[in-house]
Amino acid sequence: MDKIIEVRNLRREYIRKKGIRNKETIVAVDGISFEVGRGEIFGLLGQNGAGKTTTIKMLTTLLAPTAGECKVLGFDCFGEEEKIRNKINFIFGGETGVYRRLTARENLRYFSNLYMLNSSKQKERIDEILELVDLKNRADDLAETFSKGMIQRLQIARGLINDPEIIFMDEPTVGLDPVGARMLRNIIIKLKEQGKTVLLTTHYLQEAEELCDKMVIMKDGRIVKSGVPSEIKGGYVTLEDAYIDLVGGQVS
Amino acid sequence: MKKIVVIYESMLVQMRQSFVRPMFKFCLFFNPIISTILLYEMYINSGETNYFAYVVLGSGLMGLWGCICFSSAGDINRERHSGTLAIIYTAPVSFREIVVGKIMGNTILSIFSFVMSLLVAKILFHIEIDIKNPFYFLFSFVATIVVFVIIATIVAFLLMLSRKTELYMNCIEVPLIMLSGFVFPVDLLPKPLQLFSRLIPSTYAVELLRITACGIEDINNFWNKVVLLTGISLLYVLGARLLYRIIDKRVRIKGNLNVV
Ligand SMILES: Nc1ncnc2c1ncn2[C@@H]1O[C@H](COP(=O)(O)OP(=O)(O)OP(=O)(O)O)[C@@H](O)[C@H]1O
Ligand SMILES: [Mg+2]
Repeated sequence: MDKIIEVRNLRREYIRKKGIRNKETIVAVDGISFEVGRGEIFGLLGQNGAGKTTTIKMLTTLLAPTAGECKVLGFDCFGEEEKIRNKINFIFGGETGVYRRLTARENLRYFSNLYMLNSSKQKERIDEILELVDLKNRADDLAETFSKGMIQRLQIARGLINDPEIIFMDEPTVGLDPVGARMLRNIIIKLKEQGKTVLLTTHYLQEAEELCDKMVIMKDGRIVKSGVPSEIKGGYVTLEDAYIDLVGGQVS
Repeated sequence: MKKIVVIYESMLVQMRQSFVRPMFKFCLFFNPIISTILLYEMYINSGETNYFAYVVLGSGLMGLWGCICFSSAGDINRERHSGTLAIIYTAPVSFREIVVGKIMGNTILSIFSFVMSLLVAKILFHIEIDIKNPFYFLFSFVATIVVFVIIATIVAFLLMLSRKTELYMNCIEVPLIMLSGFVFPVDLLPKPLQLFSRLIPSTYAVELLRITACGIEDINNFWNKVVLLTGISLLYVLGARLLYRIIDKRVRIKGNLNVV
């Protein structure tokens, strides 16, 4: 299987100012390595502050690595980002990432322009995608009149607008109702069937177990375990027990 | 071609977003009213009789520039808060073009503040709108707008490096008004400052507006200033491109775009 994401000894530091003179270096990602094959659903798990979002930011060309290798589709995420950007997209959980003063359709139209979608294809694609996230009957309402979950659905639609080869999702089910969360899981499975690659983070371990072909568990910027879900589970009955053991909590 | 579509679409989206903002409307409607009244009071005993060239142009330009500057600076922050900055920044089209589109959107709306100044001057003070060379004036006006877009773009790029954009904005808005001679001629500034003025393209644009409003006395002088304006503006465009390349790298290295 060809390796569509390659991360080797990846490191990212943040400099935080403390007072006027003092600076503090925070190592958010501390030398991680993993690979994702085409068509895989890959999970990035870990406690708050483990470095998941930071890793996704580097993979989505938002942030430069401090050291190490970070490649998507064989291209460097920092330096060759122009070759990557139209083939990927991302969905961040939460109720942001859309223009509240535009309608759902206008939002998608604008974003599809930014991805240089053909205007003939555009309308078709937007209708198709609104249907997919179940927003068709609210398509011409302003996003500011939407509920949290509806904005989240619109974000999902936006993340799929350019038919990306790789989709990065950072806690995409946060804020969705059970039906919405199921919808998203079904979308993820459908994407896999279409041969797309999905890299996602989530704090819902059951969701991760259900979806992911492979996963890594991060702690304090490092990977503490990686493999297929059964490998991660090891001797434990549930993924949750294994996870809590790995991140150093108390397994009851 | 695609770049133009992106600039155009970004412009439209921006216009819709800016227009509903109360602060923007305030800048658009009330600022020009107040500054026109103040400038009129200032100039009434100055001996200067061409009120159009000083009062109307001055307050109009101040309104226009203030609107462009403040909205464009704040827009990056607004995108940050709405979580859309990450998206437009990593879209395959260059963020540069999106920024230019946004600034153009703000600029087109801001022209209305010019109209407000005109109306206030006409209705309140019965100032004659007497433009001696209307064709050249129009040309100069368009040139002014283009120059404002260029400067505002550079400002917006610089402000990508910080979150305290509104603060810095205040430090840029007023000096430019003074240095470019929006309200009084640059010749009145201290000599060393005049040197700075000569490096800013808007200085020439404003001079062109005044020359054409008062009547061109020396056409060569007019064209000289046009050439200077074009030359310096082109340098600014080149500088902006270079600057963007540097800033684009730097924000990702420092992580200070704080996009999500
Ligand atoms: N812009 C920043 N400046 C300084 N430190 C940062 C910045 N962004 C993240 N960090 C730090 O980097 C570390 C990793 O953060 P990150 O957001 O990647 O964690 P995460 O795994 O996504 O956590 P969560 O599950 O809470 O989303 C944290 O210690 C965080 O405080
Ligand atoms: Mg996170």
